[in-house]
Amino acid sequence: MFDVYVPSSFDDALKFLSREGHKTTIISHGTDLLPRIRAGELRPEVLLDLSGFDDLLRYIREDGECIRIGALTTVTDIYESPALNGPLEAFKHAAKKFGGPQIRNMATIGGNVGAASSSEDFIPILLALNAKAKLTSVNGDRILSIERLILDKGVIARRSNEIITEIFFKKPPENAWTAFDKIGRRNAMFIALVNMAVYLHVENGRIKDVRIALNRVKRKIPERAYETEKFLKGKIFTNEVLEGAKEVLERELKLTSDFRASAEYRVEVQKALLKRLLTYCYNKIRRVKVE
Amino acid sequence: MSKHFITLKVNGKEYNIYVNSDDRLIDVLRDKLGLKSVKEGCGTGDCGLCTVLVNGVPVLSCLTLAVQARNKEILTLEGLGSEEKLHPIQEAFREAHAVQCGFCTPAMILIAKALLDRNQNPSYDEIREAISGTLCRCTGYYGVVEAIKLASERMKNEG
Ligand SMILES: Cc1cc2nc3c(=O)[nH]c(=O)nc-3n(C[C@H](O)[C@H](O)[C@H](O)COP(=O)(O)OP(=O)(O)OC[C@H]3O[C@@H](n4cnc5c(N)ncnc54)[C@H](O)[C@@H]3O)c2cc1C
Repeated sequence: MFDVYVPSSFDDALKFLSREGHKTTIISHGTDLLPRIRAGELRPEVLLDLSGFDDLLRYIREDGECIRIGALTTVTDIYESPALNGPLEAFKHAAKKFGGPQIRNMATIGGNVGAASSSEDFIPILLALNAKAKLTSVNGDRILSIERLILDKGVIARRSNEIITEIFFKKPPENAWTAFDKIGRRNAMFIALVNMAVYLHVENGRIKDVRIALNRVKRKIPERAYETEKFLKGKIFTNEVLEGAKEVLERELKLTSDFRASAEYRVEVQKALLKRLLTYCYNKIRRVKVE
Repeated sequence: MSKHFITLKVNGKEYNIYVNSDDRLIDVLRDKLGLKSVKEGCGTGDCGLCTVLVNGVPVLSCLTLAVQARNKEILTLEGLGSEEKLHPIQEAFREAHAVQCGFCTPAMILIAKALLDRNQNPSYDEIREAISGTLCRCTGYYGVVEAIKLASERMKNEG
C-alpha cells in the first residue's frame, strides 16, 4: 500500500523531505494516520517515519520565560510532567481525558497539531496559550503561531520540506491560570463533542487578559472566541459579567449540526463550559480551594 | 514496495527479519513469529486487545508499524510464565475468575504487568484507570480488577 522511509539521521530525514516532500506524509506514532489510511480516507505514497527520534524530539523543557515541548512528546509525558502543572493545568485536564492509556502512551503533541481537526484536544490549549510551532527544514527553522499553522480541517501551513519539531509558549505570569474540559457521550475514549480551553489573567479582581479557544467557533477547526474575549477584557470578574460573556459567546458561535450533535446542544454546552472554566481559573488565581 | 530488514526483540529473543513497509506489528507478531496471544479486536485503536509492551509500556500493536518497533524490547503474553509455571499475575487471573472467553486476557495481563512494574501497590482506582482502554465484554471487569489487586499483594510479599 505505502512505502516507509526510515531515515538514518535527522539530517537524512530533512534531506529526504526536501527531495520527496511533495509525495511524503510524516508519521509519528500513527494513532491518527493509520486508522485513516485503513478507512481509505488517505492513500499516502510514502511515509517518513519520525518515531526513531525520541532522543531528539521528546522533551519538555523550561527555558527562561518559555516552555518548550518536543514534537514527539507523548500525552503520557505531558500528564506526568511537573513543568505542565499549576497554572498550566489545562494540559493535565486534557491528558487525563485523552483516549485510553495505550493511546496516551503513543499519541504525540506534534501529531495532534499535525492532525489539525476539531477533535484534537491540545490545539485549543495551545491557542489559548498563544503557542508557536517550530518548523524545521534543510533551510533552518521557521516559527509560526499555532493559529496561523492550522489552516483548515486536516490542513496545516507546513511546507512540504518541513517537520514540526517543537511547540513553545510563554509561561503564564503570576495571577494567571489555564483550564480545559471536553464533553462527550461517555467518560473514556471519546471524541469531544465540544471542548474548550481558557487562559485567564486577573489583577485586583479585574480581567487583565483572557484567551478562549474552542474546537469550533465559525469553522470546523479549533479557533479563538475573540468577541467573547473582547467583552471580558478589562471587566471586574463577577457573575453578571460571566452571564454577559455567555450571551456574547452564543452570538459569536456559528455552529452547524452534524451526526454527532446538534448546533443548539453544542452552544448550550459551550456556554456552560465557559462559565465553569473561567470560574475555575478565577478561584485558582485567588487560591480558593476547588476540587 | 520497500522491504526493511530489521531486528525485533521479542520476549527476550532477537529476530532479524524482513518486513514490508505497511506490515503492522500485530501481523508480524502473529503471522511471522506465531505469537497468537496478540489479539485483533477493532483494528482502529478503540478496543485495546492488541496491546503489547514496548520498552515496558502498553501500546497498541494494530496502530504500530512493524518497522517502527525496530530495536525495541517487545513483550507479549508468551514472554510471561510458562505452561509449567504461570506468572503470579496469570495465577491471580485464574484464581480471581478474571477470564471468561479469554480474548481480552492477554492484553489485561500485560497491562497489569506494566502497572505492577511501576507501582507495587496500586489502588483500585489506579487499576481501573490502567485497564480503562481495554474492552472486556464478559467479566464486567470485576474479576480483572480483583485479580490485579491479588497479584499486587502476592508479588509484594514475594519481594
Ligand atoms: C482510539 C483513539 C482515541 C483518540 N482520542 C483522542 C483524544 O481524546 N483527544 C485527541 O486530541 N486525539 C485523540 N485521538 C487522535 C490522535 O491520537 C491524536 O491526534 C494524536 O495526538 C496523534 O499523534 P500521533 O503521533 O499518533 O500522530 P500521527 O498519526 O503519526 O500523525 C497525525 C498527523 O500529523 C502529521 N504529523 C505527525 N507528526 C508530525 C510532525 N512532527 N511534523 C509535521 N506533521 C506531523 C501526520 O502527517 C498526520 O497527518 C485518538 C485516536 C484514537 C485512535
